[in-house]
Amino acid sequence: MSSASLLGNSKTKKSGGACPHWFFIIPALVIVFAILIFPVIYSVYMATFEWHLFYSAERKFVGVGNFIQLFRDKEFLHSLWLQFGFVVIALPIETVLGFFVALLLNREGKFYALVRSLLLLPVFILPVISGLTWRLMLQPGYGIISFILEKLGFGVKAWLAEPDFAYGMVIVQDVWRMWPFMFMFIYAGLTGLPKEIIEAAEIDGARFWTRVFKIILPQLRPTIATAFLLRLVDALRIFSEVYVMTGGGPGNATMLLSLYINKQAFEFFNIGYAAAMGVVLLVLALTLSFFIVRGNIQFEGERG
Amino acid sequence: MKANVGRKRGKKMVVSFILFIVSLIVLIVELMPIMVVITSGFKRDIDIWVRGPFCFKPTLQSYKEVLSNTDFLMSLKNSLLVGVSSTVISIIVGAMASYGLTRYVFRFKEAIAYTFLGFRMVPQISLVIPLYVMFNYLRLRDTLTGIILAHVSFNIPYVIWLLLPFFAAVPRDYEEAARVDGATEKQIFWRVFFPLVSPGLVVASVFAFLMSWNEFLYALILTSVNARTAPVAVNGLLGQYAPKWGQLTAAGTIMLIPVFVITLSLQRYIIKGLISGGIKG
Repeated sequence: MSSASLLGNSKTKKSGGACPHWFFIIPALVIVFAILIFPVIYSVYMATFEWHLFYSAERKFVGVGNFIQLFRDKEFLHSLWLQFGFVVIALPIETVLGFFVALLLNREGKFYALVRSLLLLPVFILPVISGLTWRLMLQPGYGIISFILEKLGFGVKAWLAEPDFAYGMVIVQDVWRMWPFMFMFIYAGLTGLPKEIIEAAEIDGARFWTRVFKIILPQLRPTIATAFLLRLVDALRIFSEVYVMTGGGPGNATMLLSLYINKQAFEFFNIGYAAAMGVVLLVLALTLSFFIVRGNIQFEGERG
Repeated sequence: MKANVGRKRGKKMVVSFILFIVSLIVLIVELMPIMVVITSGFKRDIDIWVRGPFCFKPTLQSYKEVLSNTDFLMSLKNSLLVGVSSTVISIIVGAMASYGLTRYVFRFKEAIAYTFLGFRMVPQISLVIPLYVMFNYLRLRDTLTGIILAHVSFNIPYVIWLLLPFFAAVPRDYEEAARVDGATEKQIFWRVFFPLVSPGLVVASVFAFLMSWNEFLYALILTSVNARTAPVAVNGLLGQYAPKWGQLTAAGTIMLIPVFVITLSLQRYIIKGLISGGIKG
């Protein structure tokens, strides 16, 4: 079932000569044009200028100059690399955790229902609060994680001042918050499967792993793919959590893509150059989101 | 034979017990940071710094300070206003568009649908740069109108996307019957379809509100004093030198209350919304 069939399932309608569909669509079209399409076009325009935020009048046309400069900008390449690492490390962990916990919690009983509900909370916690909480927990001396690490003999350290550790914790923060998203998705997929297959997913000794890989996993592959794609676009544009947790630091150890763009735009005021980076990120995200839309995750099984 | 059955049952119980323990550990680990937020809110800043994480003598001091902080209260009011306004606008405009796209056939329909839906995932940082310049020019920076518009930009596509299948699922007989009764196109939409897709409207409203309530980047860049929303104000409590963790977590807990109440009470809707569109970071 494709989006095309969904959109086209109504027959042409005689509506007394007028075009009533425009009445319904135009408000959205106008708003979307004003605050999405036009700004996107405008940012492409901005990207062709060397443009300082406070000296707009003196902006200089540089054509594709900004885009060429991107490849020579070591900090940009570094943040691209960090972003890549973030996605490549965090998402598989979230997916695997989500998958196995979905199997684990696929049991009857009030306790398991309660666990499944409570797992929703991290997903909906405000990103800002999540980032700040992890920052609190890692404060030297009084943060709970620092405290435990200290008792384990790692000494008192400003953990978020250690570049590799800070990067790791940014990933841990994301995994903590988002594997339950993968779980919800996969669990919903699992409960939508035929009964025999769900039973095959029950955890009890005999040939459990074989059943998981031969029966369950192939059935859930489309669900997992969709969830993964959604997470991928989200992970590419992560900003708030990291901004409040580390601010991109120490140094630029956690300067993920959105943070670097923000820094160029609103700390160095190079909005032309920042717009160029924004366009690169945009193209990436829109390409992926096109596949999500085309993969019509939502249109299945709901039509009357 | 009997012993065998007994052993099997015994083994099953052991497995059940292990699974129970593992689930419990998963749950505790997941809720630990949330417990940190909630408990820290009942501590004083000074106790957090000096007494370590496990000393807990509950006091309402931090709440008192936060609730007498007019900046924070104003930002909370702004958040509420922005959340409700952007949700209402997005629901009305989005539902109309969704209806138009599913119930009529016309040229460019596919192109329009793809535009609406594709733009759902625009990275905020890419959009905030042109918006900043535009809003500066239009004098919309640091106004509620501006930040509401910014939030509408991600909520409208989401609402359209989420409602498409709800509108598509309404059988054609309903509108034919209404038309025979002499209802106009607008009446059909408001009186026939709006009630029929109300479950979808609930999901969409809840999500639109939560996404607006949780949003940080637009608020950070596009507002400063007048239209600042609560997430930015909470981050502001970090201060320059001595983070006021007690107040910060108290404010955070206040922000989390509506989120958790909505999430747990409308769980079934929430999962549906989550699965049909992911959430914003």
